[in-house]
Amino acid sequence: MSIQAALPTPYTPTQTWFARHRSVIIRHGVINVFMVIILAPLAWVLMLSIKSLPDSMRGQLWPRKFDFTHYNYVIDKIDTLSNNLFNSIYVTGATVFITTFCAVLAGYALVHLKTRGNVVIFTALLLSLYFPTRVVAIISIYEIQDFMGLINSTSGLILPYITLNLAVSVLIMRAVFQLVPHEVMESARLDGAGPWRTLWFIGLPLVRNGLVVVFIVNFVTAWGEFLLGSTLTNDQEVRTMPVVLAAAQGGMGQWAWPRIAAVYVIVVTPGLVAFTFAQKLFFKGLTEGVVKG
Amino acid sequence: MPPLQSSVRTPYLRLDFNAWVFLIPTLIFFVGYQVYPIFRVVWISFTDFEFLSKEPANWVGFNNYITAFNDPLLWASLGRAALFTAMFLPGTIIFPLLLAILVDRVQHPRLATFYRVVLLIPALIPSTLVFVLWKWMYNYQVGPINYLLVEVFELFTFQNAPQWLGGTDLTLPSIAIMEVWWGLGYHSIFFLAGLAAIPKDMVEAARLDGANEWNVFWHVTLPRLAPIMMILVVLRFGTSMAVIDEYLIFGGFNRASPTYTWTIFMYDQAFNLGLWRQGFAAAIGMIGAVVMVFFVAILLYIFRPRG
Repeated sequence: MSIQAALPTPYTPTQTWFARHRSVIIRHGVINVFMVIILAPLAWVLMLSIKSLPDSMRGQLWPRKFDFTHYNYVIDKIDTLSNNLFNSIYVTGATVFITTFCAVLAGYALVHLKTRGNVVIFTALLLSLYFPTRVVAIISIYEIQDFMGLINSTSGLILPYITLNLAVSVLIMRAVFQLVPHEVMESARLDGAGPWRTLWFIGLPLVRNGLVVVFIVNFVTAWGEFLLGSTLTNDQEVRTMPVVLAAAQGGMGQWAWPRIAAVYVIVVTPGLVAFTFAQKLFFKGLTEGVVKG
Repeated sequence: MPPLQSSVRTPYLRLDFNAWVFLIPTLIFFVGYQVYPIFRVVWISFTDFEFLSKEPANWVGFNNYITAFNDPLLWASLGRAALFTAMFLPGTIIFPLLLAILVDRVQHPRLATFYRVVLLIPALIPSTLVFVLWKWMYNYQVGPINYLLVEVFELFTFQNAPQWLGGTDLTLPSIAIMEVWWGLGYHSIFFLAGLAAIPKDMVEAARLDGANEWNVFWHVTLPRLAPIMMILVVLRFGTSMAVIDEYLIFGGFNRASPTYTWTIFMYDQAFNLGLWRQGFAAAIGMIGAVVMVFFVAILLYIFRPRG
């Protein structure tokens, strides 16, 4: 009769579905709050860019009337916009290409070619990360650019831009090249390939994850650079997009809120789209290069 | 840090030349735009160089440094940079750590990937575009933050709604919040990489020994994450002491503004005021940089690898 009492209490229906999954629900709840915090500003600016002009002055997130013409307007009517966009693409493209080129060669040489200066160069690059060069050096960089006649020149920006992430890029490539066994490189050399051929045909395919990271890191920096861009140029038509956007006062005329938001969306989208394509390679490269380096 | 070089390699004298060819492009830019400018700025800081002046610069020894040390604005501006760092640094470590620990436990593979992709989005928005976006977010007219405070939660009216930017007392916390948002995902990804490297059976063993969640976190997870946390603290300490773009965009050159830190002081003197007193500006820059490097060195010493 009393066997029932000796058994552990059986499952009772009063323990609800919520109670059983409580920790999972709380976990996903907290994560999703963070996700909303991350995405909300972007969603807001996207909404702003498709609001009608009167709605843009009101706070409500959901407008009473949508207006998708702002994108056409800013491309047609803002004179310098195409200039600024072109400047940004040109400066960023050149910076990314040249920095990646330098970083691949240097990373390869630091790991797989023996030189006596390796340790010195590596140390100098590493130390430069702990010094606020970007801020302090600008006085001298202005002087250099002035000496070369590159003040107020779009192309002139490329030179200091390359250096912004050069040290980081070389260190990433060095870390990635360290994952390539020395024997692989050596065997290519024994087969008669010079260092250039070894790098191009054997090395590069093996470090492509790291390459993607270097590419994206440099793209993000150059695409959004402000300090040098605003200091070394004066005229609106030679400036890059972020410098113009930072100086623009939202409100009236061509910079009415939905229009300036449309410009913003145009400028911010390419990077995000490029990343979604390279996402897998990027994560792999990030763990290989950055964390271990 | 991985070991620098393995010693078993055969030295190839012939390759020495080749290796230097590979290093030359990097060295040109690194020396030309980083090493030389630093030494040049050190030299300028000992002269009375004014960029727009016709007069040749004279060597003035430590005069610029003495003037700077006697200027209360220098101390105020260094203090403001430190204040910002104190506001920003804890948040940018703690929130990503919490988020990473939560995301790390997500089992569902699709969701886990989705969360990671969202986490990286802010890191892929270039710096100035983050600042511009938040400048609008904080705007009193169209900004959603004041909209929420005034019209949705009715905590304020239009008359007394907080003015976030433009040199008010709220400006530094506002910038700190923005910076924490910006680093939230990127730092979480760092911590996630660290968490993935903790062997699962270590955690299991601790659990079997009767450790609760808190004990596991304190004795297993945290020590394993310490190296990554150290890198983040040191790097972010450096960047937050030397912030300049945000202050230029949000604060301007008002000397009373909390954003008038040593970086803005330097920039104001070098490119804005009078005949561009770059000698004095260089001295301010060097003082700020040395203070920063000094504390970074202390941090590196505290976090030095032990055992």
